[in-house]
Amino acid sequence: MPRWRSIWLVARREILERGRSRGFILSVAFTTLIVVGSFVIPAIVFGGDNPTKVGIVDPSPSGLQAAIEQSAERFDHKVVVTTYPSSAAADEALTGGGADLVVQVPPDLSGPGEIRVKRQPDQATAQVIAAATVALRVQNVLGESNVDQSALADAQRPPETRSLQAETEQDQAKFLVANIGAVLILVGIFSFGFTVLTGVVEEKQSRVVEVVLSTVRARDLLMGKVLGIGVLGIVQLAVFITAALIAAYATNRLVLPTTTPGTVVLLALWFVLGYLLYSTALGFLGALASRQEEASNASTPVTMVAMISYFVAIFAVIDDPDGLVANIATFFPPSAPFVVPLRAAFDAIPLWQIGVAAILTIIGIYILFTIGARVYAGAVLQFGGRIKLRDAWRSGE
Amino acid sequence: MLEIIDLTKRYGPVVALDGASFTARPGRIVGFLGPNGAGKTTTMRCVFGLAAPDRGEVRWKGQPVDRDMRLRFGYMPEQRGLYPRMRVAEQLSYFGQQHGMSGKAANASAAAWLERMGLGDRAKSKLEELSHGNQQRVQLATALVHDPELLVLDEPFSGLDPIGIATMTDVVREQASKGSGVVFSSHQLDLVEDVCEDVVIIARGRIVASGAIDELKAASGRQHLEIEVAGAHGDWLDGHGALQVLDRSGDKVKLLVDRSVDLTDLLARAKAAGEVRTFSYEPPKLSELFMEAVAPEPAADTREVA
Repeated sequence: MPRWRSIWLVARREILERGRSRGFILSVAFTTLIVVGSFVIPAIVFGGDNPTKVGIVDPSPSGLQAAIEQSAERFDHKVVVTTYPSSAAADEALTGGGADLVVQVPPDLSGPGEIRVKRQPDQATAQVIAAATVALRVQNVLGESNVDQSALADAQRPPETRSLQAETEQDQAKFLVANIGAVLILVGIFSFGFTVLTGVVEEKQSRVVEVVLSTVRARDLLMGKVLGIGVLGIVQLAVFITAALIAAYATNRLVLPTTTPGTVVLLALWFVLGYLLYSTALGFLGALASRQEEASNASTPVTMVAMISYFVAIFAVIDDPDGLVANIATFFPPSAPFVVPLRAAFDAIPLWQIGVAAILTIIGIYILFTIGARVYAGAVLQFGGRIKLRDAWRSGE
Repeated sequence: MLEIIDLTKRYGPVVALDGASFTARPGRIVGFLGPNGAGKTTTMRCVFGLAAPDRGEVRWKGQPVDRDMRLRFGYMPEQRGLYPRMRVAEQLSYFGQQHGMSGKAANASAAAWLERMGLGDRAKSKLEELSHGNQQRVQLATALVHDPELLVLDEPFSGLDPIGIATMTDVVREQASKGSGVVFSSHQLDLVEDVCEDVVIIARGRIVASGAIDELKAASGRQHLEIEVAGAHGDWLDGHGALQVLDRSGDKVKLLVDRSVDLTDLLARAKAAGEVRTFSYEPPKLSELFMEAVAPEPAADTREVA
């Protein structure tokens, strides 16, 4: 029988047995619920009925407030308009939360004016205000005795949007996507890597491994297990990302950066690489344990490496995506799965680095699997107590 | 034919196998006997590639055993174990497919074996929902689902109730009558005597006796003799040095005699003592052969098993 069929049978068993289990279905449903909830609940709580607080800076064109209120009504959008005596007072209200958005338009309507927000503009409200100012300015131009075509064109320009804080909308979204990506990879590695770990110990504890290994090679069993559980990981990730994108789009909560498709592809790639690396390590370390309680001990080094890599990624790399630490961590297989997608989300990694990092990680997976398969073969049939890594390596021939 | 040739295996300082060799002929049921720790399980693991011998090899039909051959073997390890949460029929089918069967053939065979084991209605149950005895039946079916040419069972009778033992015995006999090789280890020597044609006895990693049970018995230096002489109380035996008296009750004596004893002479003596009512000569029981075979060897004995 060809080896691939044996590996496929192992993988298929994992997919069917675990994929149909209540635990897996619940966990997919639960995480999806959390993702969707994190977009939908704020939209319900903060959006909708609560009026947007709009500040107008005096001096302002007459009729601006009325125009905004009218426009809001047309768009079925609730606004509360307050007038501030100066630009500074308006900005203070903006920072303090007294206003969600501040509009400043020259009183003579000579320019399109400006919309200021604290961090991220609320697209719907910005549209309402743009419609109001454009209407006012167009009316003003048309009211002149002879209509100046260029003035009319200029009057249709919407006000410029400016954030008080330096970050642009894209940076915000990038930051969010990067963070979600890092968390997804960490959670994916932990939940599915640990499924491999407990799966290995379960097989050992129930002694079924002796029956299985009378026909299946130890390394094929390990590989099938890692691949099968990995497929479930991909399924969960796909459900997760799809739910997040749909929820973000539907609730208009997040303006996704233009780089999103690339980020998602890269995230999936590094999820797979990270999972393969860590679950292989967890799988063979699990074989050293005879009981579940010992397994968590055996896995401690891997857990530590994963946590350190994650923290390096979210602190050092987010802080300076093109810094020295980020550059080093890119080429180190245990940290690459966290660091590369993060840097990519910030557009702070050249393509060649992504390629080299991927190749290095694949080499790392291969080496780890070769070592791991031997340790696994040596340890998985020894029962009773914790088996020493060195002993397992020796008896794995 | 299964040939175990000079298997040697050490686990650190422990010598598990020390040049063990024997053969198991197809169509015959071989009882593999030995005290705990003698090397039975290690030998079986070597057959399935679960342990790599330091020296020696396992051959099947004259060829060194490789993975493809092992697909045609069936194994039931001493430590039973299957996937607790997997459905019984799917589990059997899975193992059938791992032995190279197509999905369809494996499903059909799984269903047939469950029926045969009286578990037809439990096909969709999870293994852990079955009773201990039924789990054992599924375990046996796992070793058989791919219709193996060689069946190796490690302590198949341990923990079985009489009905389970009957099922196991039937299945083992059926496999052998189909021409498959059957090797099983057991401590239940009466059962082995009943079921097996051949035995292999292992002690301290070496084979100390092997062959057909009848031949081993016939070749044994220790035969049972029961003599009843009316009114003689066995006194007539006194002064006969080469005899070991096992039991003396009334007119009856039970003796253990070795080959050097002249039975004709003994019968003549008995006749002289009185009316001989019984003079029966009986081969030893398997348990006696076993005890004799596994008794510690004298230190000077350095014989090699070929």
